[in-house]
Order: sequence, then structure tokens, then C-alpha cells
Amino acid sequence: MNSLRLRLTALACGAMAVALLGRAVAFPVDGNKTVLPATTELNEDALDKPREVFRSEITGSKSYLVNLGDLAFNSPGLLGEVARQAGVSCGTCHVNGANNAKFFMPKMSSRPGTFDTTGPLFNPKADNLVLDPVRIPSLRGARYLAPYGADGRFASLRDFVHNVITNEFAGPEPSPATLDAIVAYIQDIDFLPNQDLGPGGRLVGKISESERRGEALFAKPFPHDAAMSCAGCHVPSSGFVDHQQHDVGSGGLFKTPTLRNADFNAPYFHDGRFDNFKQVIDYFDRTFELGLSAQDKLDLVAYLTAVGDGAQPYERDGASATLKEINDFSTVLATAIPAGDKDIVALAVDTIGRELRELTEQYPDRKNTSVSGGEQQRVVARNSLKELVLTLRRIDMAVAAGRNADAATEFRNYRYLMAAAVPAVLASAEPWSLFNQDVHDQHYAALRQVMQSKHLPH
Amino acid sequence: MHRMRVAACLALLAAMAGARPANAGALEEGAERYRPYLIEGVGSALAGARALQERAAAADLPGAKKAWLSARAGWERSEVFTAGFVPELDAQIDAWPNADSGFHAIEAKLFGAGSTDVAADAAALVDHLNDLHGKLRDIRLTSQGLLDGTVRLAYEVGESKADGGESRISGTSLDDMRNNIAGIDFAYHTIFSSALNTVDGKLDEMVSNRIERLQAIVATPDLPHVDIADLRRTSEELVVALQGASAKLGLQRPTLEAQAR
Ligand code: HEC
Ligand code: HEC
Repeated sequence: MNSLRLRLTALACGAMAVALLGRAVAFPVDGNKTVLPATTELNEDALDKPREVFRSEITGSKSYLVNLGDLAFNSPGLLGEVARQAGVSCGTCHVNGANNAKFFMPKMSSRPGTFDTTGPLFNPKADNLVLDPVRIPSLRGARYLAPYGADGRFASLRDFVHNVITNEFAGPEPSPATLDAIVAYIQDIDFLPNQDLGPGGRLVGKISESERRGEALFAKPFPHDAAMSCAGCHVPSSGFVDHQQHDVGSGGLFKTPTLRNADFNAPYFHDGRFDNFKQVIDYFDRTFELGLSAQDKLDLVAYLTAVGDGAQPYERDGASATLKEINDFSTVLATAIPAGDKDIVALAVDTIGRELRELTEQYPDRKNTSVSGGEQQRVVARNSLKELVLTLRRIDMAVAAGRNADAATEFRNYRYLMAAAVPAVLASAEPWSLFNQDVHDQHYAALRQVMQSKHLPH
Repeated sequence: MHRMRVAACLALLAAMAGARPANAGALEEGAERYRPYLIEGVGSALAGARALQERAAAADLPGAKKAWLSARAGWERSEVFTAGFVPELDAQIDAWPNADSGFHAIEAKLFGAGSTDVAADAAALVDHLNDLHGKLRDIRLTSQGLLDGTVRLAYEVGESKADGGESRISGTSLDDMRNNIAGIDFAYHTIFSSALNTVDGKLDEMVSNRIERLQAIVATPDLPHVDIADLRRTSEELVVALQGASAKLGLQRPTLEAQAR
């Protein structure tokens, strides 16, 4: 959460050195060679997170399976040694099931929002020795978007996920139940609703003239090939995809990406080469000699923007958003503790404990010079979060030792604290936390200054 | 409403606290045995800080860095004490990220900017440490305070330092961890182990075992090889065990943050 990007870049450098030089010392203790790349950013605007919408929550609540999948999705333990060390989980790249457009890992990314799934870092055996990063896609509506991968190499979502874990990340073979859970979770992630989209993917409601003209252009046959149109591939009635791969001159066969919620999916194309819709349309205009006028292009952009919209794409990250996620994760324990399921309890305790530790760091301790005031509130907030971490650890230890009843007692205690006391304590410390924009800015400005002193010429 | 909930939370945490010291005598003797170690640790931090002052005045960058590292090591070994007994001073000396005095301010200049222009900061550090060193002979060392410090530090050791931790610039975080664990090890075995052993041998064994495991986890060539998940789990298990120990020893349940009791 707070220093993830820094951790990633730092680790990427460290682990890269290891990957390339065998047992080379990546973080020398003599202190002279700990290098952070000049591009290191300290996730300054991480205060907004993509909003996640679940199909099952429209009518009821998420199932055990979906919550377990969400938990596994956010657990670095799933992806093997290197990822675990870096704290990288599926959720690092697919934040809340959307894309992480800021993700940047030196030597594994060409630009923010891309990642080389065949690079050397996580699985040297899968390294194809070229830097060919692809755009990190959003998983919203993934159940409608087979085949999977930018090149559509997997027809089945389950096979794709299995490949991500065992091949791309060289993670341990997941249990079939874990795989089922992750698939159930991904299939539960919905598109953000868009009230401008009616039945059959047509624009409805208050539509501008420009958007109307764009809609017509979108369906119009191409001048040099009447069998082709934008809508022929991005089929409006079918989630703006045709489940096919095409060569649109971008370097090979790639699946037609959806245009739903695409306003939030930049950078565009498989390699993330385009920043905005205008560039995409210019590209199609050139490649297929569409002869679009300046107005046509504006109209198409207006149309794509209307189609690609979604309600409340981001939500403010704060203690309550994190606690909600943690509470969803914790429901898994309600089932796993009585069942004495050691592996799932361990997974839940590790993942939730990690989130709680990161949440603790949002309330700076007294050594942190970028915050003043609210010292008592911060102490109480940090203290209660640490107590929760330890309560979870006692649960893990109890279940591991077969003392399920003790674990259940601890869990009741945990839930009691999470219900009212902890949210209240955190709320009272919020003004002096990194969730406060001013405090956040001061903290990261100070940190950036410190890091930059690394790059001064010696 | 708000206040009531806060109070309820605190009450619940406090309810877990222990009763009156049972083997107070043995524990306080143990705390006394800790004193020479403490004096030695702060003394070596002070010696390092003095060397730093001198090397910086001579514009000897490598020498100043070396002295900084040695001062730092002595300080980290004494954290069990500093976190529990002199939290104000600890906050001053260990402030970050935009510290204008203390270790990290000097670190940024030496290791970051490559400058030996640290005379004022080094002098302040020497003053602080000298002042503290002078008080150590008479300061009252309670076993409760040392247990509090031990537990806080044990929890902190489990914090992910994969990004380089607080000492990002000098890259000494792994050394910091090793010195912290050495401090925990010494404090536990000097003050608490035998008293706990007489009331609960298994718990004593468990604490010792977790400390040994922590030592093994940080015995790697570098920070990226430290198994972060194992480090965290083991640190938490150690804290849980020490919290259990506090009740058996008749001490109060240690608080996890430096605060007035
Ligand atoms: C380091 C970043 C990263 C991590 C971690 C990551 N992914 Fe991805 N994900 C990507 C990239 C990049 C692609 C595009 C890959 C491609 O096109 O071949 C992708 C594609 C996908 C897709 C296909 C979407 C589609 O519509 O084609 C799914 C499903 C997916 N990831 C699920 C997961 C799961 C589950 C995990 C954890 C087990 C995970 N990802 C971890 C970067 C990541
Ligand atoms: C032959 C099928 C086909 C036609 C016709 C087509 N597209 Fe696409 N479209 C694709 C494919 C395939 C990609 C992905 C290319 C890549 O990843 O390199 C794509 C990508 C896009 C993207 C980027 C989406 C993203 O998330 O990366 C947009 C926007 C888009 N098309 C809009 C249009 C518009 C507007 C038209 C008409 C002018 C059009 N497309 C015509 C197949 C088509």
C-alpha cells in the first residue's frame, strides 16, 4: 500500500541482479551500492483506488468461494518465491480487479501499466530473452471476454490462471479448490454500470449529437472493405467483442478487446502503445485508409468515451475501504476455523495480517517527522491494529496445533474489535494519517527528497 | 458514542493485562545484569559518533561512513532499552524521513549526497549519546520496561524491510535487524529466561526457539534473501509467546507502542 512501488522497484533491482549474476550481492551491507532507479516513484496519488463491483452483491452477498478467491488473489504466497519476497500478488497488477496503470517494474516494463510476462524476474525458465511487455488488462467483465491473454491463447479462464501461477510466476501448483476460488472471484467482477448503454449496446438517454454520429460511424462499413466495420469486431450487442483474434497491423494476432469501461483501461493495445482514444482512431484511420474527417474523429472519440464510461470508477482509499476488504477476507475464517482447515487459515492470517500491517503504517509513529499532532490518537490506532495482527497470529497458531475452540474464541474477540472499536479508533486518528491528503503529500515529498539525494552526482 | 467505543476497545485490551509481579526479585536482578550490556552498547554508539565527528572534520568520507555504521550498530543493539525507557530521545535520534538531526539526517548527507558536511549534526548526536551514557549508571531499569521494549522490537523486526526499511540510503537495514535481534536475545536470556523456565519451561523453550529462528532468517547474505513471510510469522509468534510470558511472570501485558503507562 504505502511503499509498494518503492518496494517493487527496489526488489526488482535486487532480484534482477540476482537473476543475472547468480549469487551476486544485491543489497550490499556496506551501503554503497543500493541502487534505486531514477524513475522510482512513490505512488503519490495512490489515494484513489479502482472501484470493484461484484455480480453477486447486486442480489445478495459474496459466497465463501468468491471471498476465498479474493483472498488468494491478494496473497503474494500464491505466486512463488520471488513474488512472495516482493509482496507481489495478482492484486498488485490487477488492483481491485481493474488494471494498475501505474505499475512499473524496471527491466520488466516498457512504460507504466505494462509488464513482460516472459521476462527473467519471476521465472527464468519462461524468459524469452526479449523485453516484450504487454498491457496489464482490467479483469472487469472477464467472464464475457474469452479467449484470455492479449493473443487469446487460452480458451478457458481456469487454464489461463493456472498458467499465470505455475508458468509465468513459477509458483507452486495451486490446489484445485484454490483455482476454483480464484476463477469464481474473477467471474464475479462486473463491469461498472454505464447508464448510457441500453439493450444491444446502443447508446440511450441523453446522447449528444456528436456521440450519435460516432455511433453511426462505428457501424459504417470501411470504404475499402465493406465486410469490415468497427462494430463488426467490437460487437455492441456482445460486450463489444467478437471473441476472435485479428491482425490489425499492430504486430500479430490479438483478441478484440472490450470497449466497456475502456475509458479507464489506458494505455491501449496489447503493448500499451497508445495513451488515448484519439491516437487509436488516428491509427485505424491510417491503417485502414478510412478517410475520416477531423469531425469524424471527434465524433468517434465522443462515442468511445460514452461507451467506455462507468459509474464511480474510483473510490477514495481510506481506513473504511481497507477495513471493508479485510472484513470480506475475514469471512473466510468463519468457515475455515471450525473446519480446522490449516492451509486456508494460514493463507487468511498471512494475507489479512499483511494488510493490517500496511494499514498500521498509514498512521505514522513518533519517529516520522512529516506529521505532528494527534500523537495519542496515532499511538492508539497503531496499537489496536497491532493487537489485531497478533490475535490473528494466535488463531493461526491455535488451528495449527488443533486447538480449534481456542481459535474460535480468539476469532470472536477479533470480530468484536473489528465491529466497532477499531473503526472508531482509526477514524479518530484519520486527520494525522497518510489518508489525509496534506499529511500524505508531506510524507511522500520528504521521502522523495531523501531518495533523490541518492542520485546527486558524487 | 465515539469515545465510548474507543474506551471499550482499550478496556478490552487492558483486560488482557496480567497481575502483580511474582518473582519480582529475580527479574529485577536480571534487569541489573542487563545494565553493563546497555552501557557497552550506548558506549560504542558514542565512540562511533565521536569518530564520525573527527573523520567528518578531516573530510574523510569513507572513514566517516565507517564510523557512522559502527555508531549505528551500537544504537540498534540498545533499542530494547531506548524504545522502552527514553522514547523521546529515541524519536529524536532515529527520526525520518526528513530528519534535521539524528542518524538519518547524517546518513542522507554521507551516503546520499556524499558530503562530509555533518559537523553540526554529528556534534548534536555526540551530545545526545554522551548525555544518555552519563545517565545509564543510575537510571532505574525495570523488568517491565525492558519487557515492553523487547516486545515492541520483536514486533518491529517483522516489518517488511524489503524496500530497504528506514535506513534506505545506507542499505544497513539487514544489519539493523541483526543488531535488534541480538538485543532481544540478550535481554531475554539475561532477564527473563530462567524466571520463566521455573514457572513454564515449555514457554521458555518456545521463546528461545523463535529467537533462534529469527537469527537464522536474517543470516542471509543480503536483504532480498531474507524470507519476509517467515520473518513476519516468526516475529509475531515471538510476540505472542512473550505476551503469554508476561502473565506467567506476573508482569503487565506489554503494550506495542511506546506510550506512558
Ligand atoms: C506483474 C503483473 C501481473 C500479475 C502479478 C498478474 N497479472 Fe494477470 N495479467 C498481467 C498482464 C501483463 C496480462 C496480459 C497478459 C497477456 O496478454 O498475455 C494479464 C492478463 C490476465 C488475465 C487475462 C485477461 C484477459 O481478458 O485476457 C487474467 C484472467 C489474469 N491476468 C489473471 C491474473 C491472476 C489470477 C493473477 C494471479 C494469479 C495475475 N493475473 C497476476 C499482469 C499481471
Ligand atoms: C478487424 C477487427 C477490428 C476492427 C475492424 C476494429 N478493431 Fe478495434 N481492435 C481490434 C483489435 C484486435 C484490437 C487490439 C489490437 C492490439 O492489441 O494490438 C483493437 C483495439 C481497439 C481499441 C483499444 C482498446 C484497448 O483496450 O486496448 C479501441 C479503442 C478500438 N479498437 C476501437 C476501434 C474503432 C473505433 C474501430 C473502427 C474505426 C475499430 N476498433 C475497428 C479489432 C478491431
